Amino acid sequence: MQISSKEIISLIGLTSIIFLIAPLFLILYVLSYNRRKKKYQEETVMLQKNFDTELLKTQMEVQEQTLKTVAYDLHDNIGQLLSLTTITLSSINLNDNKNTAEKIALVEDLTMRSIKEVKALSRLLHGEEIISRGLKAAIEFELEWLKRSDKFQVSFTHNNVPFNGDSAQETILFRLFQEIINNIIQHAKATVININLQGDVENYKMIISDNGVGFDVKKIFARKAGMGLHNIIKRSNMINGNAAIISTPVNGTTVTINLPYK
Amino acid sequence: MIFFSVSTVSEFICFLVALLCLYKDKDVAWKLFIPFLLLTCVVEIIGIYVREFVRIPNYAIYNFYILFECVFTSYFFFYLYKSYLYKLKWLLVWFALFVAMYIAELVYNKFGNFVSVTASVMSVVFVLASLYFYYVKLKDEHFEPLVYSAPFWWVSGTLFFYFGSTVCNNFSKYLAMYEIIAYKYSVRYLIFNLLNIIMYIFWSYAFICRYRQRKSFPL
Repeated sequence: MQISSKEIISLIGLTSIIFLIAPLFLILYVLSYNRRKKKYQEETVMLQKNFDTELLKTQMEVQEQTLKTVAYDLHDNIGQLLSLTTITLSSINLNDNKNTAEKIALVEDLTMRSIKEVKALSRLLHGEEIISRGLKAAIEFELEWLKRSDKFQVSFTHNNVPFNGDSAQETILFRLFQEIINNIIQHAKATVININLQGDVENYKMIISDNGVGFDVKKIFARKAGMGLHNIIKRSNMINGNAAIISTPVNGTTVTINLPYK
Repeated sequence: MIFFSVSTVSEFICFLVALLCLYKDKDVAWKLFIPFLLLTCVVEIIGIYVREFVRIPNYAIYNFYILFECVFTSYFFFYLYKSYLYKLKWLLVWFALFVAMYIAELVYNKFGNFVSVTASVMSVVFVLASLYFYYVKLKDEHFEPLVYSAPFWWVSGTLFFYFGSTVCNNFSKYLAMYEIIAYKYSVRYLIFNLLNIIMYIFWSYAFICRYRQRKSFPL
């Protein structure tokens, strides 16, 4: 069958039209992909904003925690020392030389202890500085105050590998440590607290365990009551890590935060 | 009236838009559109004049024009790719290849016909260059609102024209011989009119985008 020139020319015309439709769809595809790229970028910006807000919140919480410690210490420690100093001074009888010398020595001792306490508080007030010394040092410093209460037997172990993430991650990790310790103090009725830091080339792990009353993790999460626990999970995820909470009633709780560097 | 065809009118309107939007542009590549489009209009007018009044084939004029078309379009593509660290040597290699092909075809035709093979190869290269531009834009992580992007619309117009004309270019000799016999009108003429309208609308929009960009962010 011979094809006429009319048919061939029609075919050429038709093919040209198809050749015109193809770029049209290509342009539409590029434009729609570009729109998706825009959406993705907006989402990324929003995530970054959320992260920045959360980081700011975390920094404020660290400061708040510091101020609380300062307030407790002023009331329970320095306040008591100064009261004792006042009582001792007012009880001095200048005619009783023997007792006066003893009492003055006691006042001197109390004053020295007060000065020491005020110096320690002053160091504590520089919350940012604490974290800048490194996570391990910040935790050690925080634990110093916890040990003073004599309510807990605190053990802190680590493999001496410094944290290699960025400062935002370090701040959030430190705040997570504070939140977990606060939970133990407020709810666990524990007597023993173990803290362990393990770092290697790829990961950084923080394990905090206690011998407290424990709780049913599923139940707490289902009731949506554990805002603190939700916060621990959320913040761990925010710094690209994950938190595992293992707890059973009576057997204490272990919280493990694992933070891969990449 | 014979000088007023779809092609000449669309080219002239596009030239006017380029003149209004680009004459204050500080970028030489964009500013060059004004002389290039002026040259296109002049070549079209001369082409019609030679065909209709002198009554001799006008391929020599288009053989001359294709040199400018190739150099300018290739240079403009290179200008668009420059920010993506595209190397100058590829532009020079392409120019060398084009010149070799052009001279070979002219000699082969004994200077007696339009360099259609060279024009077809040039079209394919420009289609590839346009597609590469899209590829670069898709790969680019930085978001750019393409709806208002002058380079994007210029490339789109160019792609439409050179991709759409591929079939006509490949069958140009066949069409020249048979289309008038088969139909009362030229299929090639209709398709090229359509392609010219699309390309010059896209280019005009690109110039307007460029003007708006210049007004919003003066360089």
